[in-house]
Amino acid sequence: MAAVGAPEVITQLEGAAKVLMAPPSMVSTEQRQHAEHVFLSFRKSKSPFAICKHILETSKVDYVLFQAATAVMEAVVREWILLEKTSIESLRTFLLTYVLQRPNLQKYVREQILLAVAVIVKRGSLDKSINCKSIFLEVGQLISSGNPTVQTLACSILTALLSEFSSSSKTSSIGLSMEFHGSCKRLFQEESLREIFMLTMEVLQEFSRRENLSAQMSCVFQRYLTLANQVLSWNFLPPNLGRHYIAMFEATQNVTLKPSESWREALLDTRVMDLFFTVHRKIREDSDMAQDSLQCLAQLASMHGPIFPDESAQVSYLAHLVEGLLSMINGIEIEDSEAVGISNIISNLITMFPRSILTALPSDLFTSFINCLTLLTCSFGRSAALEEVLDKDDMVYMEAYDKLLESWLTLVQDEEHFPRGCFVQPAIQVFNSYIQCHLAAPDGTRNLSVNGISSHEEEEINELQEDDRELFSDQLSSIGMLGRVAAAHCIPLLTSLLEDRVTRLHGQLQRTQQHLMAASDLGTVDRKVLDDLYEDIHWLILVSGYVLADDPQGETPVIPTEVMEFSIKHSTEVDINTTLQILGSPGEKASSIPGCNRTDSVIRFSKALAFGIQSFYKLRKCVRLLSAVLRTSEVESRATRASLTELLSPQMGKDIMWFLRRWAKTYLLVDEKLYEQISIPLSTAFGADTEGAQWIVGYLLEKVINNLSVWSSEPELANDTVELLVTLVEKRERANIVVQCESWWNLAKQFASRSPPLHLLSSSVQRTLMKALVLGGFAHMDSDTKQQYWAEVLHPLQQRFLNLINQENFAQISQEESVKQEIVATLEALCGIAEATQIDNVASLFSFLMDFLSSCIGLMEVYSNTPETINLIIEVFVEVAHKQICYLGETKSMKLYEACLTLLQVYSKNNQSRKRSDVTAEEDQYQDLLLIMELLTNLLSKEFIDFSDTDEVFRNQDQGTPASGRTVSAADVVLYGVNIVLPLMSQDLLKFPSLCNQYYKLITFICEIFPEKIPQLPEELFKSLMFSLELGMTSMSSEISQLCLEALSPLAEQCAKNQEKDTPLFIATRHFLKLVFDMLVLQKHNTEMTVAAGEALYTLVCLHQAEYSELVETLLSSQRDAVIYQRLADAFNQLTAGSTPPTMDRKQKVAFLKSLEEFVANVGGLLCVK
Amino acid sequence: MTVVTRRDPVTAASEGTSSTRLLKLRLCRFHVEKEKEPFGVTGGKRVRPPQTHRTMADSDLDFQTGESGASATFPMQCSALRKNGHVVLKGRPCKIVEMSTSKTGKHGHAKVNMVGIDIFTNKKYEDMCPSTHNMDVPAIKRLDYQLVNINESYMSLMGDNGEVREDLRVPESDIGKEIEAKFEAGEDFLVTVLCAMGEECAVATKVLPIK
Repeated sequence: MAAVGAPEVITQLEGAAKVLMAPPSMVSTEQRQHAEHVFLSFRKSKSPFAICKHILETSKVDYVLFQAATAVMEAVVREWILLEKTSIESLRTFLLTYVLQRPNLQKYVREQILLAVAVIVKRGSLDKSINCKSIFLEVGQLISSGNPTVQTLACSILTALLSEFSSSSKTSSIGLSMEFHGSCKRLFQEESLREIFMLTMEVLQEFSRRENLSAQMSCVFQRYLTLANQVLSWNFLPPNLGRHYIAMFEATQNVTLKPSESWREALLDTRVMDLFFTVHRKIREDSDMAQDSLQCLAQLASMHGPIFPDESAQVSYLAHLVEGLLSMINGIEIEDSEAVGISNIISNLITMFPRSILTALPSDLFTSFINCLTLLTCSFGRSAALEEVLDKDDMVYMEAYDKLLESWLTLVQDEEHFPRGCFVQPAIQVFNSYIQCHLAAPDGTRNLSVNGISSHEEEEINELQEDDRELFSDQLSSIGMLGRVAAAHCIPLLTSLLEDRVTRLHGQLQRTQQHLMAASDLGTVDRKVLDDLYEDIHWLILVSGYVLADDPQGETPVIPTEVMEFSIKHSTEVDINTTLQILGSPGEKASSIPGCNRTDSVIRFSKALAFGIQSFYKLRKCVRLLSAVLRTSEVESRATRASLTELLSPQMGKDIMWFLRRWAKTYLLVDEKLYEQISIPLSTAFGADTEGAQWIVGYLLEKVINNLSVWSSEPELANDTVELLVTLVEKRERANIVVQCESWWNLAKQFASRSPPLHLLSSSVQRTLMKALVLGGFAHMDSDTKQQYWAEVLHPLQQRFLNLINQENFAQISQEESVKQEIVATLEALCGIAEATQIDNVASLFSFLMDFLSSCIGLMEVYSNTPETINLIIEVFVEVAHKQICYLGETKSMKLYEACLTLLQVYSKNNQSRKRSDVTAEEDQYQDLLLIMELLTNLLSKEFIDFSDTDEVFRNQDQGTPASGRTVSAADVVLYGVNIVLPLMSQDLLKFPSLCNQYYKLITFICEIFPEKIPQLPEELFKSLMFSLELGMTSMSSEISQLCLEALSPLAEQCAKNQEKDTPLFIATRHFLKLVFDMLVLQKHNTEMTVAAGEALYTLVCLHQAEYSELVETLLSSQRDAVIYQRLADAFNQLTAGSTPPTMDRKQKVAFLKSLEEFVANVGGLLCVK
Repeated sequence: MTVVTRRDPVTAASEGTSSTRLLKLRLCRFHVEKEKEPFGVTGGKRVRPPQTHRTMADSDLDFQTGESGASATFPMQCSALRKNGHVVLKGRPCKIVEMSTSKTGKHGHAKVNMVGIDIFTNKKYEDMCPSTHNMDVPAIKRLDYQLVNINESYMSLMGDNGEVREDLRVPESDIGKEIEAKFEAGEDFLVTVLCAMGEECAVATKVLPIK
């Protein structure tokens, strides 16, 4: 084909390029869009090869050259099957020669042309029409030319090949299936990749030998180093991975090196590793290159898999690596830019090499390695602290420190594999340095910059910033583990530091109090000393918490073995009487009690005496640490009583609550059955039926009550406080002790009376408090006491509520502020009660709440014009459904369904005829809708999660007719709810992502669970449901689109079951057939969706065979090109060959899906041609 | 039985001697209404007269609409405020649309940051205060009236107890147009009147439930 009108095309393209490259102010949006359109349609033009060649040879505009290269690349893939193999080959040669002859091409143009070459090679490797060997030969020649420009070009070619073959995220650009990409990649990684690696190694070898590298040379050097890194980071595809797994596999980050056996010779050669150490030594001062060389070493340190013929090969490989690493580190002062890279090497080798290989290292080498790791960790830790002081943006040492601490955790967790005690000394060093970095001078170095000047700035912290205990939880877990390894050192250290700080805090507060009596102005108080103490105590409590206990989510926490052993070991030297005395006097200074050095440092009480505890406690060292925290708590409480709350740190208050909660979960009422050996002091101090346990529960309750009144204004501290309360009552054994305390009953009464200070708490805290009070009610009590308890806790709520709403003039007074507050408080309490639901209390809580739910519906009427109340009422229903529906048997579920249905009816009635104009109308409605959808989804969840008596549930499900007395089903409620939600959903509202997701999840659930209900929907509702599906399929995110596609199959199956033609659903599915057909066949789509779309298409085809044939016919008849026609016709025939005639049969469906994949790979791209 | 307390607003204003609370309220309304017009357009440059909280001292003025002498605002500790609730910001009754806490320094005490929207003017206000402090919360009332008539832009509204008030203008908003259109069309409907801190405004309409 001659380049007809080529000059015109070039002129047009160059004009468009000028527009696109112009500064924004010079061209209008329309001009810009037009220019973009010019290029888009140019790239879609048919067989643009001749014109592109012409452009490449004549045009001087870089951007046009770039677009021409892109057009060639896209067209080759699109028209591959129509092209002669020879013309493809000549095209490839043309492109490569073109680049070689023009060393001055713009980089982005060159890379794009090379990408086109790589794509051609890859597409060709599929039908074996192109042999990679010849390319490597050419590249090898380029490299040996010694000319830096040519070598750079060679590197670019290899890089382009590598990225084209490596990543399957390019799928859409050539429209091939994952299998094709997978097999291309597998083929490539066995031979070509190794060739690239060998070529790269030669270049690196060559450069590392040279003495003086010119700037240009070192630039080439760097590019090959990057290339080496890319090869070593190759995500080796194991043989025989399913398609689904491939997609998952490709998504993994931080690839570890797992080459196949064929790489043995290339990678087990020690010279390879040595080369990388040499290279690093040479370039380590160049921070960019150093990152690549260290990353290469890190990849080598992660090597595993079949490449090692046996263990001894692995051991000698590791030994060589560790030796190289040690000699590298020991000889140098580490640069900032090396920290992360070095820590990656260490972390990779510790994670990837089996313990048996690590222990098989020569013991000298292993010891040197551990020592080096210890020093490095401490040093990175100090540098990380410095980074924090300087408030650096790029925290490289922090990152490196995190990595190393993580590696320690990995090592220490497998401690039993290593020589006994080999980690104790390192643990002590790392632990000490951590503590040192977090304490203020003179003991520590916190906030000290290099020159020893301390900085103290107060920054504004918002609630979104995580608390240190979460922000640094990884670090703290590692430090906690190390602390346990060296428990004999670390626990006493923490204890004495904490005791010292508390004593100082006490003194400082007393001095401040005296100062205030004289000056009486809080503004004159210097907070610096106090804040330093608070910060010290903050970190000491956090570390103590992490040393003493774990926070296992959902599992029963147990006392760490190391702590238990430590406690047992020291129990013999404990002086019982003294221990008791210390434990019992949190207000006293430990050292003021004679003989305190002989007490167990894990416990120390003092109030115990006041509670009449006799001296039969033995105190352990771990208990003394607890008592240090209790003393901190006591100093805090006393300060609040002395009106010094202003001066206290809410953060410290939070820390205390957090620690006590973590401690109580693990240590309070230890279950001896969980342990092989138990420390007598621990079990006698906090075991079941001990006075110690009673005393501490009493103390904790007092503390909680004090906190709730003093700290009502600190939402986070109040929250930690009520969470401690929940911990105390959520376990039956602990709750049994709690309900024996008078203070617990006082708290219950106080809360029920809604008097200050508890009603000052934020609503979420009040809910949790309510939850705790309800949970406590299920503790063991005799029936009189129990009755009395409920009379104190729940009945006042009910009584007050009933008294209020049963007043004759309730409607009139309903808008009075006091009435509204009472109503809001009641609704909040109901949410709290629902939250307390557990499997063993659901029966009684459900009936209690049900009474309220019906009254709430009455409230919906009274408060129909008060949106905030309406919103809260719906929330009560959401909570009840969320917490209880899964436990409810049939009759009870029915009751709840009915209540929800009525709620929705009233809501709908009140909103239909309402028009609001106030500002927050839209926001209110959005919140209501979100809650309603949540409610509906909660009700639907009964279909998946059901803990109720399953027999009963199943018996009734299988019957076609409703069970007797069955008035409402979940489907009725949900569909009714959808009826309300749908008309209110606007495309604007769907722009809220959370609402949009919730909405589509809901309608997909409905189509999947109740397809039989869909045809019975009212016409309008049906229409909007179908419209929603179409909208979701065509113009939402791929996730939503997939949800909608999944909803189609059950709908089509429903139609097939009914066998009725011309129903609205039947007609709608016909429309969807066309949509899905177009989507799969004509549009570029996300390959992830092929399965969902394929399943939908198949069921739709079964239902509408004639229409499907028509669609195919229309498509075929629009093809003028005979070759394309035939190819398409064949493809369509093959598509349905395995499933003719199509029936709703699983086997056939699977066959169809398989051929669909081939179909998409074969003709998918073809049909996109304009 | 319908008790109609019908007074022309202009003459009521000139009388000035009536001791009913309703009248006082109406005077205030009238006063505010006159100023409110430019306010709606310019977006709040006007300086409002200082808010005079009605206190118990006013309760000798018998309140015809059956309200007690509850104050227009009451104090509440910052921490107990809630999103979707109400608060007085810069002297204006606002709905809280955003609420967050912050602190100065790790060991500082909590401060509450609030964003509120004036329930009458839609203007946005922000405020921050220590969470131990008390904030004023406006007492908010929403009352439904049946629209009986519109006379020179004043609505005749009948309450639950049959009393009719005529002191409220049709607001110059979408809902105002809605009210006029529905009235023209002869529809029976309710008007929701939002009332806070001595200010009142129709904010919603509702078609009468069929009995």
